[in-house]
Amino acid sequence: MSTFFFAVSDLRRAHPVLTRATLTVLFTSIALVITYFLDSVTNFNLATGAAYAVVILGLSFLTGASGQVSLGNGAFMGIGAYAVAIWSVHHATTPIVATLALATAVGAGVGLLIGLPATRLRGPYLAGMTIAFALAFEPLVSVFGTWTNGDAPIQTPLLSPPGWLASLVGQPTSSLTTTNMWLADISIVVTGIAFFFMANLFRSRTGRAMRLVRENEVAAELAGVSLPRARVVAFMVSAAYAGLGGGLFTLVQGSAQSSTFNLALSITLLSLLVIGGIGTLSGALIGGLVIAYSQNWINWLEAQTGVSSTSGLGGNLKGIIFGLALILVMLLAPLGIAGTIRFVILQQFKKHPISRPSQTADPQ
Amino acid sequence: MDAFLTSRPIGDLLSGIVGGTVIGLVALSLVLIWRATHILNFAQGAMAMFATYIGMTRLQHRLTVNVIGIHFTVHFNYWWCVAISILAGLAIGGITERVLVRPLYGKPEINPIVVMVGYLALLEALAGAIWGTIPITIQTPFSFIDWQLGGKTVLLSPNDVYRVVATLVVAIVIALLFRFTNLGLQLRASAVAPEVSRLLGVRVGRMLTIGWILASGVGAVAAVILTSSSFQQPLQPPVMEAPFAIAFIAAAIGGLESPTGALVAGIAFGVMEQFVTDYLNSNYVLLIALGALILVLMIRPQGLFSKRVVRRV
Repeated sequence: MSTFFFAVSDLRRAHPVLTRATLTVLFTSIALVITYFLDSVTNFNLATGAAYAVVILGLSFLTGASGQVSLGNGAFMGIGAYAVAIWSVHHATTPIVATLALATAVGAGVGLLIGLPATRLRGPYLAGMTIAFALAFEPLVSVFGTWTNGDAPIQTPLLSPPGWLASLVGQPTSSLTTTNMWLADISIVVTGIAFFFMANLFRSRTGRAMRLVRENEVAAELAGVSLPRARVVAFMVSAAYAGLGGGLFTLVQGSAQSSTFNLALSITLLSLLVIGGIGTLSGALIGGLVIAYSQNWINWLEAQTGVSSTSGLGGNLKGIIFGLALILVMLLAPLGIAGTIRFVILQQFKKHPISRPSQTADPQ
Repeated sequence: MDAFLTSRPIGDLLSGIVGGTVIGLVALSLVLIWRATHILNFAQGAMAMFATYIGMTRLQHRLTVNVIGIHFTVHFNYWWCVAISILAGLAIGGITERVLVRPLYGKPEINPIVVMVGYLALLEALAGAIWGTIPITIQTPFSFIDWQLGGKTVLLSPNDVYRVVATLVVAIVIALLFRFTNLGLQLRASAVAPEVSRLLGVRVGRMLTIGWILASGVGAVAAVILTSSSFQQPLQPPVMEAPFAIAFIAAAIGGLESPTGALVAGIAFGVMEQFVTDYLNSNYVLLIALGALILVLMIRPQGLFSKRVVRRV
């Protein structure tokens, strides 16, 4: 096991991009195979969680790399969602790749628009402005009512899974099992690609410059990093990812409605980021899994405690849990799940430095 | 004169000022906390909403107290409930500062933002869990019927006057407290120069708590007068979300350091909201506010009423 670990870490140093690509393909393939054994509902939840994970990846870059907080990414998600919904109603035959690329581009464009004044804002000002943007999303959708159908949802045409998947599953193409597996597979592949790009970006020149901005603005400026540019790029990337995630979300849900993309969604996204671990990419995946299964856990909790889901407590259980989690994680374990695991592993290495296999043979 | 007072723009101006009082008060409370602790309290609106629930759900309740064999029955009228709401607001402010905010001083900028946002979500969900999400209409002792002048309506009712007067009273009390009392001097000193104040014997930690208590009390007054408007804004968990967002924009435009700036900008935004709703569409209110914020921050990043603080290498 440790031999494998060191082999990977050596390879990582020599060919970072190639290693990341290989690992991404490996893990994505494993996840794809797993979807074959999952039931229909789990696949659907997984697909939704993957869409969230893409959004959280973007948020992770914004917060982890440049140190800004956005509470508007739920709204950016909504913009991607509406881009996909409106486009696919008029052009149902567009390939999924093109539709999702459109969602990403629209997200990035609006992100640039909102991000330009954001370069002037710091910390709480920026967060406050993005809250205002999140609250302004629903009115914005109403203003463009002729395109967006106002408050009413836009139904998108159903995705038809390819024939080979249907024959693999042994169910007809239109069956729920095949459709949900297809949705999960699309989402996993998109998340894999998004993850790969983000991993490279994090370790690129731009990513390094941004982490320097987060750690020390003065040092960053002295080192020649343009603060406004770094901030606006980070904001745009996170909005682009939110747009992509929102587009994916619409494909999975089969509809887009403005009330989905409210302030509560932005707060949920932030809490998922914090729970998973700010500044870690695996934290975003953990956050996606948490949201994918949260409804199951809440249902289980309600069944155990006998709280009706229609009562005041039951209806607000999610808000209570996520709000409490946000506070407790930030106060007690600000690194989040992935960050804490990494921290513990690093401490272990410090305590018992594992020597290289070649050196263990050396008798003391 | 009558025709002037009953005209449409004057009516909008009057109702705008009435509506703007709430925004101004929330903006003022944000500035109070920002000046004291340099934390932007995202849960300000939610804290005020929660305090209002604690007080206003007592409305029309009875409490029988047994004092040495004699039963006293208290009928909770409107003013009792207002008093309870404000007391609850003060208490929530103090508890929040001691329990949630105290561990956050000196931490990275993002930590208080995340915690206060979590607190916002928690309070709204808790309010929904305890009191339900059905909006509650609150009756005040004042009439909601607008005055008449020469057969036409002036868009102003006794209840509106009550709301404006309550705002003015709060603003004047806060101003007097800060300017003319020993406590006010200590509060200002510990906000401007905490180290020096500590050396001079000011208990800075206590001042921070008092700052939060005061701000939370002001917020509670804002939520009370907002929901004391009959059917326009019934009490419900997200009732303070939109006023908070506009109040934040107003406070940021006025400069987060200036209480007067926040109050004036808040009332100005109330007037803007009324005109936009009347002549355009209420959907544009937040969009225009956001646009105004972006515009002002591009030109004067420190806000209209604040002195420039240079942040350069």
